[in-house]
Amino acid sequence: MKRNILCGLVATLLLLTSMSCADSTAGSRYWGKTQPPKENVLRYISGSEPESLDPQIPTGQPEARILMALYDGLVEYHPKTMSPIPAIAESWEISPDGTEFIFYLRKNAKFSNGDPITAKDFVYTFRRGLSPELAAQNAYLAYEIKYAQAYNSREAFVKDKDGNFLLKKDFFEDTKATKPESEKKSSFGPETEFYRFINSPERLTVPLDEKTREAFFKKNPKIKEAVEGKELVPVRAEDIGVEAIDDYTLRLKLALPAPYFLDLLAHQFFRVVNQKTIEKFDKEWTKPENIVTSGAFKLQIHRPYDIIVVVKNPTYWDAENVSLDRIEFYPSEEQNTSMNLYKAGSVDAVYNNTVPAPWIEKIRNFKDEYLDHPAVAIEYYTFNVTKPPMNDIRVRKAFALAVDRFALSKFRKITKPLVDFTPEGIFPRYEAARKKIYSQLLKEYQIPLEEWEKRYFNPAKACQLMREAGYQVRDKENGRCEVLNFPADEVSVTYNTSEGNKAVAEFMQAQWKQNLGITVQLRNMEWKTFLPTRKALDYKGMARAGWVGDYMDPNTFLKLFYGPDNDSSTGWYDPKFDRMLDEANSETDPEKRFELLAKAEFYMLQAQPVIPLQTQATNWMKKPYVKGMYPNPGTLHAWKFVYIERDPAKWDRDVDNIMKESDPIVEEKITRLMQSQIEFEKKKKAGA
Amino acid sequence: MLYFIIRRLLIIIPTALLVVSVTWLLIRLAPGNFYTGEKKLPPAIEENIKKKYGLDKSMGEQYLMMIKNVLSGDFGDSLKYQGQSVNEIIRRHLPYSATIGILAYLLALLIGLTAGILAALKQNSLLDYTSMAIAMLGISIPNFVLGPILVIIFALGLYILPPARWGGISNLVLPVVTLSAIYAAYIARLTRAGMLEVLRSDFIRTARAKGLDEKTVLLRHALRGGIIPVVSFTGPALAHLLAGTVVVEKIFAIPGLGNIFIQSVLNRDEPLILGIVAFLSILIMVFNLLVDISYGFLDPRIRYS
Repeated sequence: MKRNILCGLVATLLLLTSMSCADSTAGSRYWGKTQPPKENVLRYISGSEPESLDPQIPTGQPEARILMALYDGLVEYHPKTMSPIPAIAESWEISPDGTEFIFYLRKNAKFSNGDPITAKDFVYTFRRGLSPELAAQNAYLAYEIKYAQAYNSREAFVKDKDGNFLLKKDFFEDTKATKPESEKKSSFGPETEFYRFINSPERLTVPLDEKTREAFFKKNPKIKEAVEGKELVPVRAEDIGVEAIDDYTLRLKLALPAPYFLDLLAHQFFRVVNQKTIEKFDKEWTKPENIVTSGAFKLQIHRPYDIIVVVKNPTYWDAENVSLDRIEFYPSEEQNTSMNLYKAGSVDAVYNNTVPAPWIEKIRNFKDEYLDHPAVAIEYYTFNVTKPPMNDIRVRKAFALAVDRFALSKFRKITKPLVDFTPEGIFPRYEAARKKIYSQLLKEYQIPLEEWEKRYFNPAKACQLMREAGYQVRDKENGRCEVLNFPADEVSVTYNTSEGNKAVAEFMQAQWKQNLGITVQLRNMEWKTFLPTRKALDYKGMARAGWVGDYMDPNTFLKLFYGPDNDSSTGWYDPKFDRMLDEANSETDPEKRFELLAKAEFYMLQAQPVIPLQTQATNWMKKPYVKGMYPNPGTLHAWKFVYIERDPAKWDRDVDNIMKESDPIVEEKITRLMQSQIEFEKKKKAGA
Repeated sequence: MLYFIIRRLLIIIPTALLVVSVTWLLIRLAPGNFYTGEKKLPPAIEENIKKKYGLDKSMGEQYLMMIKNVLSGDFGDSLKYQGQSVNEIIRRHLPYSATIGILAYLLALLIGLTAGILAALKQNSLLDYTSMAIAMLGISIPNFVLGPILVIIFALGLYILPPARWGGISNLVLPVVTLSAIYAAYIARLTRAGMLEVLRSDFIRTARAKGLDEKTVLLRHALRGGIIPVVSFTGPALAHLLAGTVVVEKIFAIPGLGNIFIQSVLNRDEPLILGIVAFLSILIMVFNLLVDISYGFLDPRIRYS
């Protein structure tokens, strides 16, 4: 009898669950409840709880999206392409050599407390972000600004007895390929005292801290000699290349030409903050009762881990064109919870990467809601090139060629195969230039076209390379082989714990087993353990890595390999690559610059310090009535373009085409904003 | 009795210090740091951060500093969430966990005691078997399975309850039920076992022989002894419930302490970890003390000297 009752119970329970599992929405056009909210509000799952609402502190995407609502910068991201469009800067011009920028600010921009926003506020913001005391992790984004890096890392100028400063060019001749500054004919904008200082030849800087300085001198004994007995003058905030010419004119001076720098200025790190508030409340300034912001929305409620409510800011210079009255951000990282809230109609959109992998197959059928578009993000494996066997370039190439990237993409469902280091389908003009350059380089390097085309997967070549590297190789069918005496104990894949990373690692493991007969070990680590391990090259063989572009230019990817102490976590460094990158970035013609960058990319990949695997895709959902919200490559939404459409006839349909279709309401806004810059350029042309 | 309480209270402080010390050591042994990021920090900046947070001092000095903070009850500021003090964070998030925790426990008591008593009275009846079978299910179905099932039925199937988030009373229903299931099940089984044992003892026979009516026998005499196992279970269970139950908080996106605790470890947010650990260890010890005291009232045979 006991058993009967138990059975009955289990059966009832199973029936109940299966009944409800049977999708109530099957066959319907939309997934779950689809009804616009009564008010003019967007409810959005925003990911992890923001580290801070200070735009200069957090580094993550979830924070970036919230901060974009609260703060405005010189420029804003175009909602589709992410290219810069005028924001607080009405217009701008760039000097012919690409190292100077002048921004003309609009006069009606105000903080949320009514204070006007002037060029001085931007000067304060830039200096604050770079101050060593703030120790902002994003400070490196501004290192292109002259003396910014020196100031941020506490360095000093060197002054001799006569009051002259030692110059950088006397010690580092060949690296930075800039023209001598004396050659420049006329000044760019008014010639102020600061301008003369910042445009004088770049001074030498050395670390102020004694320990670091000794280490620096050890590497550069020539400098040590020259510096001895001379006075060290610390680089101050006032020395960096940021200048308020007047209240509404801001001038930036870069150390090197950086054509991509304008794209970078929409980043939250450069969005303007209020000096008075920060100085008054110190670290408490971001509390709802104290905070002063500059964006289209202002903070109303912040209950950590629960909700952040921002409401339309009436003092915002473009307030009349902000459609939403309110945005509610719900910080939740649980994918299933986020999806449940979405399906129940409690939220209108979810942040990127919220659809769990096993759900994708089903969710992608909801064509009006699921957004699968290329992202400016890649996944790759790093090699530890400092340890055998991965110090052998042939072994690295063999491992890279023995992975079927098409199969990997198919397995991952939404990603695209990748063999280069810049994401595919994101920079079309760069890709065109690269194609041209690659065909030239193939001849130069004598690589047969057929072999080149097979670089996505070429087991036969991989086996051949292993043989050339001196391993015993036994051939098998389909070009596969078995490497007999490979030190498999010395090679493992280290990845940070996550379902997705594990799935990819197991896939890779199977590929190498199948194609090379090598079994590599898998090791997973919690994030904060993984990062220092990878950085210190404490891993054997390979480690998992991903990179999301900071701005819309290939340079944000290639830069990872720049400099002896670079962020690639591979141990690979080549001064020739640095020179190639420098040369490319000092080129002012965009077409030629892309070609030079492509050369650098090709050169780096010839050394195979990494295995590029896939271009990531956006993976999120929004209800069809949410309009003006696009799956741009960074999924960074300029909130002032977002609106709620109540007429179902005008709802978004088939969002695979959302980037091609034009929404007159959004287009009109963008055209109006672009007007000031277009007119400025016209006037300039007429003047010239 | 008073002596007993004072002695126990005095033990709490060194025990908490020991727990915090071990935790501190474990954090220090774990690789990574609160400022570990994907980009390398310029050495000067790293030095700067270390100076700012006293990480440049010797381990001994840092340890003493930490102990000093703990003794003063001020754990300092969170390293990850700038400008928020640890005490403020605990104070802010405890009420969420406490609300669902206490409600879940009350619900569990209500269901568990009723089911347990009825099962004991009608031992080997259909009622007994049914309630114990359900209890068995309650114990063996983990809440990360039960929670989503309830969500599927009530939030996504019938659309009568919200699937997650903090808000009105309707938001409380699913997490409270999910959380209480396992406790209700335990309580039912403990009550049943306790009651069965007590009902067979001599003093119950005496009470019945005295001619007391069944209700008095049951509620005045049997229940007091019968629920002692439930009481000893209550101490740690309540502390656990108050401290947040990570899984339920995650499933229902509740901004409770458990969630924060896990995040603090992932963030290597040392002051926050230490603050929560100290708070939890003291909480558990206090609840255990309360449980021990209540024994004296429930069972005349237990006396403290």
